[in-house]
Amino acid sequence: MKTSFWDKEGTKSVLASLIAIIVGMLAGSIIILIVGLSNSSMGLSGAWEGIRLVIGGLFSTGRTASGSLTFGFNPTTFGNMLFRATPLIMTGLSVALGNKSGLFNIGAPGQYLAGTTASLYIALSIPTTSVPAWLVWLLAFLGGMLAGACWGAIPGLLKAYLNINEVLACIMTNWIAANLTTWLFDIGNLKNVAEGTKTSYVYKTTFNGVATSKLGLDKLFRGSQINGGILIAILIAVVVYIMLSKTTLGYELKACGANRYAARYAGIKDKRNIVLTMAMAGALAAAGAALYNLAGNTEFFWNTYQSLPAEGFNGIPVALLAVNNPIGVVFAAIFMSMLSICGQQLTNLTAFNEYITNVIIAVIVYLAAFMLVIKLWITKLRKQRGNRRVAGGEGKEGAK
Amino acid sequence: MEKAQDYVIEMLHITKEFPGIKANDDITLQLRRGEIHALLGENGAGKSTLMSVLFGLYQPDAGVIKKDGKEVKINDPNDATALHIGMVHQHFKLIDVFTVLDNIILGAEDTKMGFVQRKNAREKVQRLSKQYGLNVDLDAKVENITVGMQQRVEILKMLYRDNEVLIFDEPTAVLTPQEITELMQIMKGLTREGKSILFISHKLNEIMEVSDRVSVLRKGRYIGTVNTADTNPVELSRMMVGHDVQLVVDKDPAQPGKVVLDVQNLHVPSKLYKHDAVKGVSFQVRAGEITCIAGIDGNGQTELVYALSGLEKCSGGVINLEGHDITHAPIAKRSVAGLSHIPEDRHKHGLVLDYTLEQNMVLQTYEEPRFQKMGFIKFGAVREYAERLIEQYDVRSGQGPITKARSMSGGNQQKAIVAREIDRDLPLIIAVQPTRGLDVGAIEYIHKQLVKQRDAGKAVLLVSLELDEVMNLSDRILVMYEGEIVGELDPKQTTVEELGLYMAGAKRQNKEVSA
Repeated sequence: MKTSFWDKEGTKSVLASLIAIIVGMLAGSIIILIVGLSNSSMGLSGAWEGIRLVIGGLFSTGRTASGSLTFGFNPTTFGNMLFRATPLIMTGLSVALGNKSGLFNIGAPGQYLAGTTASLYIALSIPTTSVPAWLVWLLAFLGGMLAGACWGAIPGLLKAYLNINEVLACIMTNWIAANLTTWLFDIGNLKNVAEGTKTSYVYKTTFNGVATSKLGLDKLFRGSQINGGILIAILIAVVVYIMLSKTTLGYELKACGANRYAARYAGIKDKRNIVLTMAMAGALAAAGAALYNLAGNTEFFWNTYQSLPAEGFNGIPVALLAVNNPIGVVFAAIFMSMLSICGQQLTNLTAFNEYITNVIIAVIVYLAAFMLVIKLWITKLRKQRGNRRVAGGEGKEGAK
Repeated sequence: MEKAQDYVIEMLHITKEFPGIKANDDITLQLRRGEIHALLGENGAGKSTLMSVLFGLYQPDAGVIKKDGKEVKINDPNDATALHIGMVHQHFKLIDVFTVLDNIILGAEDTKMGFVQRKNAREKVQRLSKQYGLNVDLDAKVENITVGMQQRVEILKMLYRDNEVLIFDEPTAVLTPQEITELMQIMKGLTREGKSILFISHKLNEIMEVSDRVSVLRKGRYIGTVNTADTNPVELSRMMVGHDVQLVVDKDPAQPGKVVLDVQNLHVPSKLYKHDAVKGVSFQVRAGEITCIAGIDGNGQTELVYALSGLEKCSGGVINLEGHDITHAPIAKRSVAGLSHIPEDRHKHGLVLDYTLEQNMVLQTYEEPRFQKMGFIKFGAVREYAERLIEQYDVRSGQGPITKARSMSGGNQQKAIVAREIDRDLPLIIAVQPTRGLDVGAIEYIHKQLVKQRDAGKAVLLVSLELDEVMNLSDRILVMYEGEIVGELDPKQTTVEELGLYMAGAKRQNKEVSA
């Protein structure tokens, strides 16, 4: 018995995600329409511009001399989209891995900070005059992942051996990380004093000659911040996908996530797996931080003790939208980063505010939580069509 | 027209299909006014689906439902309630912290200016309870009353709503023998007052005692309807299973061989109380015999098995398996040393319900070289292995190896576990309540498999609460009472009554029990 393409579980998941996205976009458009129509300076034409930008902002190339919007391939926005998607892919993977193993990793922001701190310290402290820059980069990247793994392992250990809820432990370690990061940079000598106008920023890694290789991508996407990091992120996503679906380790982790007692009965070391999962999730989130901060063209605001990095939390909607599929995470993260590019274009080119895109994300996340309902609805729709077809006497699929 | 009036409910040619399985295939069920109509079938025969269709939880793909001869459409349980159809579920739907009265009127309460009018409700419930002999304490909280009284509350709930058609879904599963007798009386009383009852069960003796007619389902198909007076348990079980069923286990005398499991002075701490749950238990299990641990639930059997299988740590004593000391060995090591385990709770320990059948079949063996290479699972080998087990042990499911364990019937879930544990071909099989909640066909099958393993020279340690199973299946009985083994009995020389005395702690053998 072969299930047809439209009846596959994966197809339904993708369809459900697409429906969530379309409804989110529609909701954003309606809000723009309402705001535009209720504001005499914008009117219908202003609203129409806003809607076009919110949906196709990625392809916006500015305005003509006469003031109408122009669209086309924009290498800068494309490149920036991929660059900003890089950390989101990693935190999305981090959350998705946790979810697959039955753990809600809300600690991605803290793990992200651990990765940021460790990778920046390594990248800026080892002089590139004596050690080759690529080696420093590699050490910083791996060091960041290690720091994230250790940080993620803390709630894992608490959960496995003291049965403390990982959500609570993660939230607390998040804020400890925020304060620890601020303190470590405050007492350190990496504060950017060369550019006197800036306060509370760390040196760019290019001060030490360390930056992620562009791998020629900057030629493809001129004027953007893109570098090889996106390829590393995609590669890691593929590795995580293979690990989860093809290996015995993935089998164990998912078994622990689905039924810890049955896993223990089968002789799987459930406690070890909880710690391992959290450590791997931490390493993934931290790798995102390393890829972002080692880019060379980014600066880190170290006085962060009152806030947590959004990249960490945004891993949650990314994982949700991707239904925890590592490959899906890549697309979901790129989509989320496209939305933020669209928002930026909206701010740059119209009187609308980029926060409209936050509304869209909120609607999508809300609908993503209803994913199961949407999937059931698709199943029902398919069924009704099938019944009609059989009743209509065509019965092509019915025969199979 | 007049003929149709005889029936209060008619379900005609009902068909309901789920992905890969026809749960109901052209089923017709006609309930006469004032009768007790039993619906008999194995697990997975389609009884629950049919009742869910009647209750509006599922829409049938084909077929019609008639109430009092008129065709009706039942879209949701509210429609069913409006047609005066009520159901007592196997697991009661009561709110523990509410009083009995509040539970009865919940959802159908009279209000005045937003205040609940309990006075009229109380009078009505008292009247009903007298009329039908349903003795309940209206002001007691549900959490404080017995299971039997909770069931009477459920029945009163239906009567309070003036239901005419009452569905009882496996109502005796949770009751003691005395409560079952009482329930039978109540059901007969209800029909005398003009109610019509659908009684879902797979317990033949209860059906024989209480019902007027029986409809039998098998694998989603309608087999037939017979008058209870014209039939007997053997015929009913043949209709239900499709072939003759042996109600008694057929086996040769045991040929005990060498000692496989040797337990000396084992102590296991209790999770609930300060004292030990298992207090210095010693026994041996030999190859080629079924040794049974009998006892009333909660006398340390569960903890004993947990300690043997490694799920819990023991606080003293020695466990030897085939000459290896496994007292403190991790679970995976015990498995390698020769222990397979059919667990008491198949949903908690036995299966990962969200995994497919094939993934569950390799739950302990996925790390063996035949199923993995360098940490990568050999999907082809797993599929082949699962297909062989499914074929060999007749595990039925909607989509074969890729069926989610959750979507399988209880009997087939248990068969899958039995297949997995037996096929590992290890010298010791610990089977804890292996037939709990299963129907006649599945019980017979699992008993046969265990006897077959015994005859193949395996040591079988059976832990059971069912007296029939203990007496029929075992070669040697050890009775556990309050964490100790109080007697060793030979099933051929003892009686159920004597066994009962040991289980209740009224009798014990003085001597230390030896093999």
